[in-house]
Amino acid sequence: MFDDIQTPQSQEGTKFSSVASVRDLKVHFKAKRGIVHAVDGVSFEIRDGETLGLVGETGCGKSVTGRSFLRLLPVPPGILAGGSVQFKPQAACGGCNGEGCDSCAGTGRAATGEQQVDLLKISDEQMRRIRGDRIAMIFQDPGKALNPTMTIGAQVSEVFLQHRSKDLLKKAGLPADIGGSVGRFAHQEPRFGDGILLRVPPNRENRKRVQKALDVMVASSLADTQVPNPVKLMDRFPHELSGGMRQRVMIAQALACNPDLLIADEPTTALDVTVEARILDLIRDLQQRRKTSVLYISHDLSLVRRICDRVAVMYAGRIVEIGPSEEVFRNPRHPYTRGLIAAVPAAGTPRGQLAAIRGSVPELIDPPAACRFSGRCLYETSACRKHDPVLYNVSEGHSVACFIDHAAPSGDQPKYEKETT
Amino acid sequence: MSNRPQAQAESAGLNKTESAFRVRFGRILGLFRRLVSNPTTVLGLVIIGLMLGMAIFAPWITKPNVPDPYQMPRDWGAVRMPPGTPGHWLGTTNEGGDVLYGIVWGSRTSLQLSLIVVGSTMVIGTIVGSIAGLLGGWVDELLMRIVDVFLSIPELIFALAIAAVLGPSFANIIFALSVVLWVKYARIMRAQVMQIKANDYVDAARVIGDSKLNIYLRDILPNAVTPVTVQATLDMGNVVLIGATLSFIGLSEAGIAEWGVLVSEGQAGIASGRWWASTFPGVLIFLWAMAFNLVGDGLRDALDPRTEGR
Amino acid sequence: MNLRDYILRRLVVLPILIIGVSIVVFTLTRVGGSPIGIYLSHEMSPSEVAEIKARFNMDKPVWTQYLYWIRGIFQGDFGWSGVAAAPVSDVFPIKLAATMELAFCAGLVALFLGITLGTYAGARRNRLPDHITRIIAVSGASMPQFWFGIILLIIFWANLGIAPIGRSDATIFASIGHPTGLYTIDSIIAGSPKALWDAIWHLILPALTLGFGATAIIARMMRSALVEELQQDYVDAARAKGLAERIVIKRHARRNALVPTVTVIGLTFGFLLQGTITIEIIYRWPGLGRWMADSVLRGDQATLMTYVLFTSILFLMVNLIVDVVYANLDRRVTLGK
Repeated sequence: MFDDIQTPQSQEGTKFSSVASVRDLKVHFKAKRGIVHAVDGVSFEIRDGETLGLVGETGCGKSVTGRSFLRLLPVPPGILAGGSVQFKPQAACGGCNGEGCDSCAGTGRAATGEQQVDLLKISDEQMRRIRGDRIAMIFQDPGKALNPTMTIGAQVSEVFLQHRSKDLLKKAGLPADIGGSVGRFAHQEPRFGDGILLRVPPNRENRKRVQKALDVMVASSLADTQVPNPVKLMDRFPHELSGGMRQRVMIAQALACNPDLLIADEPTTALDVTVEARILDLIRDLQQRRKTSVLYISHDLSLVRRICDRVAVMYAGRIVEIGPSEEVFRNPRHPYTRGLIAAVPAAGTPRGQLAAIRGSVPELIDPPAACRFSGRCLYETSACRKHDPVLYNVSEGHSVACFIDHAAPSGDQPKYEKETT
Repeated sequence: MSNRPQAQAESAGLNKTESAFRVRFGRILGLFRRLVSNPTTVLGLVIIGLMLGMAIFAPWITKPNVPDPYQMPRDWGAVRMPPGTPGHWLGTTNEGGDVLYGIVWGSRTSLQLSLIVVGSTMVIGTIVGSIAGLLGGWVDELLMRIVDVFLSIPELIFALAIAAVLGPSFANIIFALSVVLWVKYARIMRAQVMQIKANDYVDAARVIGDSKLNIYLRDILPNAVTPVTVQATLDMGNVVLIGATLSFIGLSEAGIAEWGVLVSEGQAGIASGRWWASTFPGVLIFLWAMAFNLVGDGLRDALDPRTEGR
Repeated sequence: MNLRDYILRRLVVLPILIIGVSIVVFTLTRVGGSPIGIYLSHEMSPSEVAEIKARFNMDKPVWTQYLYWIRGIFQGDFGWSGVAAAPVSDVFPIKLAATMELAFCAGLVALFLGITLGTYAGARRNRLPDHITRIIAVSGASMPQFWFGIILLIIFWANLGIAPIGRSDATIFASIGHPTGLYTIDSIIAGSPKALWDAIWHLILPALTLGFGATAIIARMMRSALVEELQQDYVDAARAKGLAERIVIKRHARRNALVPTVTVIGLTFGFLLQGTITIEIIYRWPGLGRWMADSVLRGDQATLMTYVLFTSILFLMVNLIVDVVYANLDRRVTLGK
């Protein structure tokens, strides 16, 4: 199964280094009627500094795939049924302490000697250290993804308190190993009674210093996302903000600790089109400056095309096509991809029918050993109903899982000549 | 019945009432299945069944007292016997009354209390609520203000006051509870009427020419059955609970076979270590209320499609 | 409608409801025999009876009597309590203080236990702690409070002998002054640790008994609210920041789950209020509840009606406050979504 997909060991592998690689990921869900194979053998690489798009319709498993990086799946009913997600965490660049210098090419991050880890198998504590620090995530609806009863400042502070306690204490002029209630405050490990202890001097003064340093960090992180007046923003609640502002806050929160990888789960779906454009620009700008790798999950093709270097098309829990964005859009090889691109009405298209893909997504409970797109495919043959295609390299960096491009073990091969309007 | 468009519509397709009945029957079957799938609901049903059995077969379980079986028997030769005494398995009271007798005949008392109160409050409340909802306007305002006033007085305190001014008797407790508890049904019923009045298919029925009464009977009432049933089930338990509390405080006649009275009369023996006269009847009150609460909750969950994935 | 209109509307309706309640109470006084029966006796001559009747305005039409009654209330005249052998208005504040102390402690117990249990159960949905909490919740709602109190008395007072009855030890109680009527506060003011301990010691069992039912109500609401919140995106977003699960549940989910739980406070208050009657009987607590029970048995109508009026008004106001607070909190939550 691995022979055909990109791995660092494959033909072009040596040219690129990957920040993460997903190998045969399988995530299942227990439902009343059976086990749903939501993600069923997904493999891809996210290269260092690239923006990889993950595209597909609702229910194809793209969100689940994204969440697997942070193990944010409800574990019952979810089951991690197999595969691995390899990740090599970096750390703040020693030369500039994360600010950005020549030795780290301005990213502020440098490779540590650390091993690659399998995100699916590391301990909960290790995962918590990575979450928010090395891998961050922004969610679809910022109105729902921000706590309505906490101020913006408090919520963004949480990231710093969790992962940058040492820096915080240093900036506050306090020893890094300070204990007691102040130490617990800076490390975000509240204990019963701390509320009172922290009001007593000298704790009170120290806490104020930590808070001040914290506020500076939060304000600077908010300023990076080009919000007007970050200091005032910190005292506001999410419901006082517009959708665009909320998403900026989310982005600020996510990029606060300069992560290696950002998972963006449909970040602009809930926003107006004009706001969407600005947020996309923001993401792209930040991404370019810090060279953060981004996994951009979306159902919107045209959007993905604009901002992603490479794109992976998902269908029914599998990746059916993956390659450079322009290449995939100009030269889609998988019938599903073709259908998706054709379904988007372009300006200037003559009036008439909307090209929808006939049929509907199959139920993923005990899927049979056949191509999952069969039954909806315009070009399918008997071979497609008997065998399950794997990703096959068709050109430089471009792979497709369809028998159109490589013969099935038996039976006739589908051809594009059968194409009808 | 021949020229009205409704009749024509009926004869055009399936017989409307017959198919509606079949649909409703299927729905009831599904409801029943969901009910019994919940183990706590089944537990509640079992307990209710046992209580019912005890109430119905009371004369055969313990010999009825003469002349009034609802009076606790007094046997001065067997006062203050502890549980385990032969013939008085749960012990006897200060006056030689058999605790088991009190429990068994108390179930009858409780059954009567709850059935009468719930029955009458349901009827009164439904009528008042329907009138308010259907007529609207100042009638609605007036009736609902009255309901609001009643709801402003805490239930127990209200019933306490009524029973107190009328004098201590079991019948007065029944009356007091009925006066206090009908308002909930009025509210439910009115809300149902309001909700369905706003629905499109009522307008459709009106277009066909259905009379208001018909709409009421055929569309509004069956839909209102759901929340009313849930409330009634919960009330069956609640009424006995409040009734026992009132009896305990002393608003019932002394010496009758009623659980609350028994608990109250048993208090005197506690200091001397005679725990059984209060404890056992109290257990029954608890079981009764709990059983109906469990079934009421189960009913509410089974009827509300949203709570499927609890 | 916005918050201000909502508050205004509720405030306008409030006096109407209070008047309505007063009418109901007044009707009750006229239903149960003559309200001046305690002043009459068989030996009086008809002219003496007529004179007393005139003094109490009984010779006037009903609605005039109502107005006289209302006027009396505004002047602080709530009638004479046969049970206490004193004007109701004299005795009421003392008894009220005792009951408030008990109800407040029970409320604290219920709040603390209820929220803790509810959170614990909600975070471990459908596992053992959840099932246990559900059982406790149903028990609390179905348990006859008076019986529960008796059971606890049997165990802790009759058998183990470690719990007291009543509110205080007479000598200790008499040793300090009582400016507020709240034994705990008064003992702090008087600087007497012995009295404070006496007060707390006597409070433990009744407060626990009274609070049990309320604990169940709160725990149940808290649990379902927490389950609801744990399904929201911001909880996952908090986890994605690397926060410890403990913080995610307490600082994020639970804080938001408290909002709908506020709605249950009105219900809890009513529960506590009504519970004091039987609990005070059992534990011989010298508060409103026991006074009420005695009044009921001995036909002390003045006390009873004052009590009904007072508790209803209190009930109405608490519900109003709770509804307003909730509307305020809810606005923040719904606007965010």
